[in-house]
Amino acid sequence: MDAAIGLYPQDHRRSAAMPLLHLWQEHFGFISDEAVLWIAEKLGLQPINILELVTFYPMFRQQPAGKTHIRVCCTLSCAMAGSFELMENLCADLGIQHQSDGEGIHNPIAVSADGNYSVEFVECLASCGTAPVCMIGEQLYEKVSPESAADILLNPQSAIRNPQFHSPHPLEHRLTFKNIGRADWTTDIDCYLHDGGYEQLKQGLTMSRSDIVNKVKNSGLRGRGGAGFSCGLKWSFIKPDEKRPVYLICNADESEPGTFKDRYIVHYDPHQLLEGILISCYALNAHTAYIYVRGEFPVGAKILERAIEEARAHNFVGKNILGSRFDTEIYVHRGAGAYICGEETGLIESLEGKRGYPRIKPPYFPAVLGLYMCPTIVNNVETLCHVKHIIAMGGAEYARLGRPNNTGTRIVCVSGDVQRPGYFEIEVGAVTMGQLIYEMAGGLRPGRKLKAVIPGGSSAKVLRADERFKLKRRQTDGSTVEREISIDEILMDFDSLTAAGSMAGSGGVIVLDDSRDMVWVLNNINEFYAHESCGQCTPCREGSLWMKKITDRMLRGGGVVEDPETLKTIGDNIAGRTICAFGEACAWPTQSFVEKFSEEFAARAQKPVPPPLPPEYTPEELIERDEISIAPLAHDPGWEKAGTAGTI
Amino acid sequence: MSDSTDTAPLLSNVQVDGVWHQFPKGTRVIEACEKAGSYVPRYCYHKKLSSPGNCRMCLIEMGFPRLGPDRKPELGADGKPIINWMPRPQISCAQDVAEGMAVRTNSPLVKECQRGVMEFLLINHPLDCPICDQAGECRLQEFSVDYGDSKSRFLENKVKKPKNVVLGPRVTLDDERCILCSRCIRFCQEIAHDDVLGFVDRGSYTVLTAHPGKRLENNYSLNTVDICPVGALTSTDFRFKMRVWFLKETKSICTSCATGCNTIIGTREDVIYRQTPRENDHVNSCWMCDYGRLNFYYLQSDQRLLEPQIRSEGKLVPTDWPSAIAQAALQLKQFSGPEIGIIASGRMTNEELWLTSQLAKSLGVQWIDIVPRREPGDDILLSEDRNPNTNGARLILGSTSEPGAKLMAIADAVKSGQVKALVILKENTMHLGIPVEQLAQLPAFIMVNILSNEATEKATVVLPACGFAEKRGSMINGRGRLQRLNRGVRPPGNARDDWEILRDLLQAVGGGDSLLSIDDVFRRISETVPQFAGLTLSKIGDLGVHILQMEELPPMHPSDEEKIEQAVAIQTTRRAIRQQLHDAPKAAAVGTH
Ligand SMILES: Cc1cc2nc3c(=O)[nH]c(=O)nc-3n(C[C@H](O)[C@H](O)[C@H](O)COP(=O)(O)O)c2cc1C
Ligand code: SF4
Ligand code: SF4
Ligand code: SF4
Ligand code: FES
Ligand code: FES
Repeated sequence: MDAAIGLYPQDHRRSAAMPLLHLWQEHFGFISDEAVLWIAEKLGLQPINILELVTFYPMFRQQPAGKTHIRVCCTLSCAMAGSFELMENLCADLGIQHQSDGEGIHNPIAVSADGNYSVEFVECLASCGTAPVCMIGEQLYEKVSPESAADILLNPQSAIRNPQFHSPHPLEHRLTFKNIGRADWTTDIDCYLHDGGYEQLKQGLTMSRSDIVNKVKNSGLRGRGGAGFSCGLKWSFIKPDEKRPVYLICNADESEPGTFKDRYIVHYDPHQLLEGILISCYALNAHTAYIYVRGEFPVGAKILERAIEEARAHNFVGKNILGSRFDTEIYVHRGAGAYICGEETGLIESLEGKRGYPRIKPPYFPAVLGLYMCPTIVNNVETLCHVKHIIAMGGAEYARLGRPNNTGTRIVCVSGDVQRPGYFEIEVGAVTMGQLIYEMAGGLRPGRKLKAVIPGGSSAKVLRADERFKLKRRQTDGSTVEREISIDEILMDFDSLTAAGSMAGSGGVIVLDDSRDMVWVLNNINEFYAHESCGQCTPCREGSLWMKKITDRMLRGGGVVEDPETLKTIGDNIAGRTICAFGEACAWPTQSFVEKFSEEFAARAQKPVPPPLPPEYTPEELIERDEISIAPLAHDPGWEKAGTAGTI
Repeated sequence: MSDSTDTAPLLSNVQVDGVWHQFPKGTRVIEACEKAGSYVPRYCYHKKLSSPGNCRMCLIEMGFPRLGPDRKPELGADGKPIINWMPRPQISCAQDVAEGMAVRTNSPLVKECQRGVMEFLLINHPLDCPICDQAGECRLQEFSVDYGDSKSRFLENKVKKPKNVVLGPRVTLDDERCILCSRCIRFCQEIAHDDVLGFVDRGSYTVLTAHPGKRLENNYSLNTVDICPVGALTSTDFRFKMRVWFLKETKSICTSCATGCNTIIGTREDVIYRQTPRENDHVNSCWMCDYGRLNFYYLQSDQRLLEPQIRSEGKLVPTDWPSAIAQAALQLKQFSGPEIGIIASGRMTNEELWLTSQLAKSLGVQWIDIVPRREPGDDILLSEDRNPNTNGARLILGSTSEPGAKLMAIADAVKSGQVKALVILKENTMHLGIPVEQLAQLPAFIMVNILSNEATEKATVVLPACGFAEKRGSMINGRGRLQRLNRGVRPPGNARDDWEILRDLLQAVGGGDSLLSIDDVFRRISETVPQFAGLTLSKIGDLGVHILQMEELPPMHPSDEEKIEQAVAIQTTRRAIRQQLHDAPKAAAVGTH
């Protein structure tokens, strides 16, 4: 425990709260009241500070789970592939009553009578390409068909986890994923060194800082985490003569539904990531880097920790790296199941040991007032890996990959209703949506037609298969022409998808075929966002749950005529008015689904009046019925001494 | 630098709803709008706390002048800069004004934002208004009329949350009413330095609470009730007692310690229902302590002295005022100055103290002092000196020693029989260690007081007086600030205003001339005590004036994150100064005059 505390600056011991909670839970199985008090005491905090964390991060539980804890993904791609049936089968086999997680997010964990097993629905596990997936203990199980539930329970060891790799498609250009899935590839540093690893670090250390930053600028690299912001520009916000410590944070919280690329790098090519981080640290003069890895990657976190130790043994990490007199430490910090900690300022708060509440910008731009109020750069895993390749190729050469303003390669993750879901590393914009779906991902299942595509993670606006998109194209002479194209012709790059009214986002492409009920799909998405809203700001907190309640009611047959209009205006009232971009993330699906599939929504919204609600009780009645807790009176003799009536 | 830019850094030109204004640098946009007459609704923003920007009620449109190629603002046909409006609304509570900034606070987009936020806030809000204490001063109620829609589109079940949560001994919480603005949490962290409140759970299910093992019981807990914009946090004391719109409000000060927090006394028909803090950056910012806030119930005690009484044949019998005063004067005049002791109080006003000093003078009394009252204070507001007017006593009683220093000598003089006549003003003799039997033997034992106590029975004359909320007058707080008390309620029974009692007594012993009003008394003080020169009661104003040269503490400052270091520095200075004052109370307190 003390070692965990030692990973953070002396005056920021609060950061160790989450690591301590993880350690406690690993050891004792759950976070008891005693744990809250003990950890608070240990870190010099108030118990409420710890209680706030335990109840914010879904991975921390306040009751014991079974000896074997099973987490089943209930998010879109897995749900489409049958994860709800999987859960049903598991429960039937284990004799567990899993109450459907109606209202309230808490304690959906159900434990079997003998205490051996427990099950829980969790949000996207970043393996949507091999849906449906579940985690048994710390281990991920992929392509777990509902029928195989009994098998994995009977014989978890023999149902050996089989990582699902596939060899590169001819349309791919593998750079960061070069080694993923290679038969002879391991995560050992020797394997990586043998492949020419850490050469770019050596090269980088001989260059000047501004040189590297300029190379990254010239490469045109745009962030792969979701926003697509220019990486070089972001880096240039750090003043070269900065006096405060500069921090680099690698965002490995990959949790946008439909996205499963960082998982592969973290689990199968950790040294590539470390090399990218180390070069970036040197360029930014950052002496500390944190890798914020999502809590659902416990194995990944261990792989990274081991990789860091290997790199240290080779003096790639630590003091006076390779004689350059440059020092850098890299630490792994684990999240605990909160999607919002992928948002960079939410991540920073989380790393500081608080609830992952995103910060307002201005004034808290990470590059100015980031981690511990110091300048901080947050970059996605994939983005940082590209830095290594930019050093290898040179900025200008790298910029030749892809299309202008959309340079390099990126990993596109395809999931949903295609025959060969998975990851594909393409030159940005070198492949069309049609090629991606029909050639690379094997097209739709026999007899099925494309209905819609969500092109950049579940928060991206949906594209309808029969939609026509008007795209402006800049000619070589500078003039622009407008062209009308179909969904198949959209280039898979940042600007084209934006022009088509959606976004490239995190690169997660979710394909929906004509068997899908769009109200059901939207309800699944709404469920995710209602569950993941941090609850800090009014529009998102209230609106996300409201939208979910409406789609839920529509699904159950209670849709009223006004519902589509109400849904749309709720979305309008959220987007652009919140603290962080989660507001858009949760509003866009609703706005676009309702607009583009208006006939389906109208068909589900035909009742003139809503169904009756369960009876409402007055607060007093509810207290009587024991449905509302009343906390006991705390006694305070100290104050009474100080000033009861009549102290005159 | 040219002359014009020399002054430029201090003021920024800001356009609010089409009109240009100038504001000092560092003014929050939301404050600037208010100063310009365009109030922006808000829930989470509180000027003395950090800004989390979470309620989104203060969204406005913001823009900056369009710059031409020469980096100069482009001017429109009307000669004014053309504004580039940002496409998205911005919150006005977390940014300071900047040169050339333009804001719109009532455009269609802004109104749409406000309507949207109001709708979101109300969907899960219970319809409790008829039974809610906050009704009448609820921001949700106010703003929903001003900025909301009347019809609800919410057809779902509301989120259920705990009700009647006893957060601590004085504060009760209704979580369903809470709009999660975090003001109370920030207050506890930033002002009370007692981080007990927090949010648990997530999203729409987020609930405000305290850890079961550590409740909201610090001495500042009731301030959270003041700043809660809705009726979620309520004072257990005030709950359900009175609808706020019936309350008459009187501006006064707290007299429970030397800080002298500025207050509003809420009364109805001569009953005090509550005290709330009144903003004064020189004294208490926006806060007061719970101890002072609730320390008014003794005024309603059944121990109140209601009639003047005279001892007759060993028993106290009620009488009228002229007889009681005459009797007291008669008794006193039988003794020479050295045989009389006067124990006054640091809770008396300057006016009362001055009259007391005149009384002492005309009787030739040397044995006069106040009862000191020292108890542990804190780094926030509560002073170690629980007398509100020690400084007044120091200036006006004209003693050379520190207030309270002679007290024990007086007690000894009573015990030794040297002092035969004792006048007790608003204090309890029981604490002086004089045996009750001995008090009972005193031929003259005159008591001016509010409540009866054991010693009262031994008095020869009992004169019922007023409490702090029943009278006017002035006091000087521990930092040397002259402040005013005001009358919120009339005294019960036949109790009388202290200054009148003292004036009558003074005249009866033959020492006084005509003093028709308390303002006359104040004028006398201003003529004789140099620190009061030129002042009148009305000139003191609601916020008081600084009259003693003492190190004035920096005002309680907003601990805004942007200014964290500054706030920490102020905090440290404040602590250091307090420490100094603590170490050398005399040196610092006497001042230079
Ligand atoms: C709600 C939300 C969730 C996000 N989740 C992730 C995430 O899981 N992983 C990630 O790399 N970026 C995520 N981002 C984007 C980050 O805020 C940030 O832009 C990114 O880490 C920057 O890295 P990049 O510039 O390399 O893309 C998220 C953003 C939002 C608004
Ligand atoms: S938009 Fe949603 S997730 Fe982002 S801060 Fe607001 S409530 Fe939290
Ligand atoms: S209790 Fe009141 S002050 Fe505290 S968060 Fe809720 S609404 Fe805000
Ligand atoms: S700090 Fe002193 S003056 Fe202020 S409220 Fe408390 S007791 Fe009264
Ligand atoms: S892993 Fe199940 S949806 Fe992503
Ligand atoms: S007042 Fe709450 S966001 Fe500005």
